[in-house]
Amino acid sequence: MSRTPFGARRRLLYGLAGLAGLLALVEAVPRLGLVDERYLPPATTILATLARELATAGLWIALGETLIGWALGLAIAFFLAVAIGVVIGIVPGLRAATTSTIEFLRPIPSVALVPLATLLYGPSLSSTLLLVVYASFWQVLIQVLYGVAAVDSVAYDTARSYGLGSWSRVRHLIWPTALPYVMTGLRLAAAVAFILAVTAELVIGSPGLGAEIQVAQSSGAVPAVYALIVLAGLVGIGVNVAVRFLERRVLSWHPSVRSEATT
Amino acid sequence: MLEISELRKVYESPNRVVEAIRSLTFSVGEGELVCVVGPSGCGKTTLLRSIAGLLPVSGGEVRLAGSPVTGPPPRMAVVFQEYGRSLFPWMTVRQNVELPLKEKRVPPSRRAELVADSLEAVGLGDAADAHPWQLSGGMQQRVAIARAVAYEPQVLLMDEPFAAVDAQTRADLEDLILRLWRDLGVTTLFVTHDIDEAVYLGQRVIVLSSSPTVIMEDLKVDLPAERDQLTTRSLPRFGELRGHIYEQIQRAREAR
Amino acid sequence: MRALRRAVTWFGLPVLLVLVWWLVSGGSFYLPDPLKVVRAFWDTWVSARAFEDVLPSLGRLLLGYVAATLLGVGLGVLVGLSPRLRATLEPVLEFFRAIPPPVLVPLLMLLAGIDTPMKVLVIVSGCVWPILLNTVEGVRALDEVLADTCRMYGVRGGSRLRRFVLRGASPQIMAGLRQALSIGIILMVISEMFASSSGLGFTIVLFQRQFQIAEMWSGILLLGLIGLALSFLFRLLERRVLSWYYGSGAARA
Repeated sequence: MSRTPFGARRRLLYGLAGLAGLLALVEAVPRLGLVDERYLPPATTILATLARELATAGLWIALGETLIGWALGLAIAFFLAVAIGVVIGIVPGLRAATTSTIEFLRPIPSVALVPLATLLYGPSLSSTLLLVVYASFWQVLIQVLYGVAAVDSVAYDTARSYGLGSWSRVRHLIWPTALPYVMTGLRLAAAVAFILAVTAELVIGSPGLGAEIQVAQSSGAVPAVYALIVLAGLVGIGVNVAVRFLERRVLSWHPSVRSEATT
Repeated sequence: MLEISELRKVYESPNRVVEAIRSLTFSVGEGELVCVVGPSGCGKTTLLRSIAGLLPVSGGEVRLAGSPVTGPPPRMAVVFQEYGRSLFPWMTVRQNVELPLKEKRVPPSRRAELVADSLEAVGLGDAADAHPWQLSGGMQQRVAIARAVAYEPQVLLMDEPFAAVDAQTRADLEDLILRLWRDLGVTTLFVTHDIDEAVYLGQRVIVLSSSPTVIMEDLKVDLPAERDQLTTRSLPRFGELRGHIYEQIQRAREAR
Repeated sequence: MRALRRAVTWFGLPVLLVLVWWLVSGGSFYLPDPLKVVRAFWDTWVSARAFEDVLPSLGRLLLGYVAATLLGVGLGVLVGLSPRLRATLEPVLEFFRAIPPPVLVPLLMLLAGIDTPMKVLVIVSGCVWPILLNTVEGVRALDEVLADTCRMYGVRGGSRLRRFVLRGASPQIMAGLRQALSIGIILMVISEMFASSSGLGFTIVLFQRQFQIAEMWSGILLLGLIGLALSFLFRLLERRVLSWYYGSGAARA
């Protein structure tokens, strides 16, 4: 009785048609001279350039550096945020005392730290890490705080009255309840971390994909700029898919999936 | 006023075909209140949405005042079962009732009058500036009824409007519908799964079979015109009618 | 008494942190003490620079953000209302969203030069995707009973768009706008850091290059304040636009 269902197979077909349409458009527009090829190379040229670049070791090294910056920064931010978030969440009064500080620090755009990173570390992995960690830390922390706050107060009191120690409470009550939130935070943080990793490379010149784009641009290699941007998009999609997969894996067998039902 | 002839509805998807309604023919006279009752899953909502022009039919036709219905007709109002979802949560009660009138380009002074009168009629005179979600379920359904009434329809369709409210509220709302119907004389088609409700409200009751749906019986309710929750429901005839329809529906279930 | 306690919980930690900053900053070259930074802030930003660098930056941000909103919501409604169009474009849009917006800066520099049009374009092209995709999602998830109600009561065309589609999708649209705002601020700064002779991002990088450390910190502070102010304004707007949403409890469901 709802709207006519749109089958998964047809959706896939339409989606492929959409992608094909985009490629055809990017192929036709410069070929027909609507836009100068110097500014927008045809799709085939872009893809050929990408294929050629992918055959070089340099690109893979750059990609690896970007991903190392991303993963390392994300991991540091994640563990830091989870630890701090849980402590803030369970120590009475700490939540209230930190609210103003968190609300002030969180909206600070992470790129504001670019000059500081440049000054302290120059074009290096450390600069990337500084930006990535700062940006993704807040995404996780906020979700952890939501998660800890979602712990049923009755369950909490029960756990206390049965004499569960702090560590047991964290392990058996707070962590399971907060886990879905934590995973949401991780998913949001992963996307932000990737953006900031590339940004750091682009602006500060830390080695990686962003720096490659910067070099290609300043040497006027337009097809390479496009090819690298396409690659960045593909990696971005990969990052999203990987984190979503991880989220589903972690939550599928975990009892916390049903936490909404118990509160 | 409303004529349904050989109405047929088949849902088709690439790998299966479901015949929801086989063939339905009945009519609702001007000013009549007819109840449609049937076992659950018998396509009551499909029928109502077809009559309302919200769903294309697979065969047969629906005529309103002589002209075929192909889309939602301008002088028809519907009260849906899901009161929580049929009111616009971002509008106040007044705005909800007023919106269809604005679309109909009713002049502002007349609009204000219609809104005030219809809200008064459903007993929500002072709730005009509240938002729907600030009201109880029964009150929300009253707003939907007020909106339908203010629209001044030729035909009023109601799709199990009281299925989701508690028993006391339900009795109140049933009496509200009877009062409005009597005062306004609007042709009403009332779909329900509740046999008691159908007998209590209707001048006629149309009993549907299980899907694929046909009409089991078109029954005249020979109860006194004046209905009352206590006395009407305790009349022996009320019990007979109810028992009769119940049997029919049991048979429909078993036939499946 | 209660007011005092609230003041302590609210200001206690920030004051403590500033004190720590003060103690730590003693001999460090990279971290001047708070007083110096505040003085630098006053001298640097409460001056003609506010009009030469800060306001034009914010103006470009506003322009790009508004353009991205119009574009994103407009296209999002079109795509969201048509299942076919949505199925066709969704993978393409997801791809564009997955591109980290800052990489568009070098590209757009090629296409649009290094002046205001490029910077606004960068902001538009970064902000538009979250708004677009969230609008599509919001429009797709519009309530079917409300859609039927609109059809029944003859609510169509512009009125349907204004009173039903946009309002019904507004929670998701606002979520998209919130994401776009933080992206917009990042892009405002980056586009100026790259190739520019004015603007907030340029000025801060200049201070860094010239080792005017206190001034650089004051720039970071200013960016923080701008981020804070914009997020505060956004929250006000959100409370207003979505009061029905929070009131109805739909936000928690």
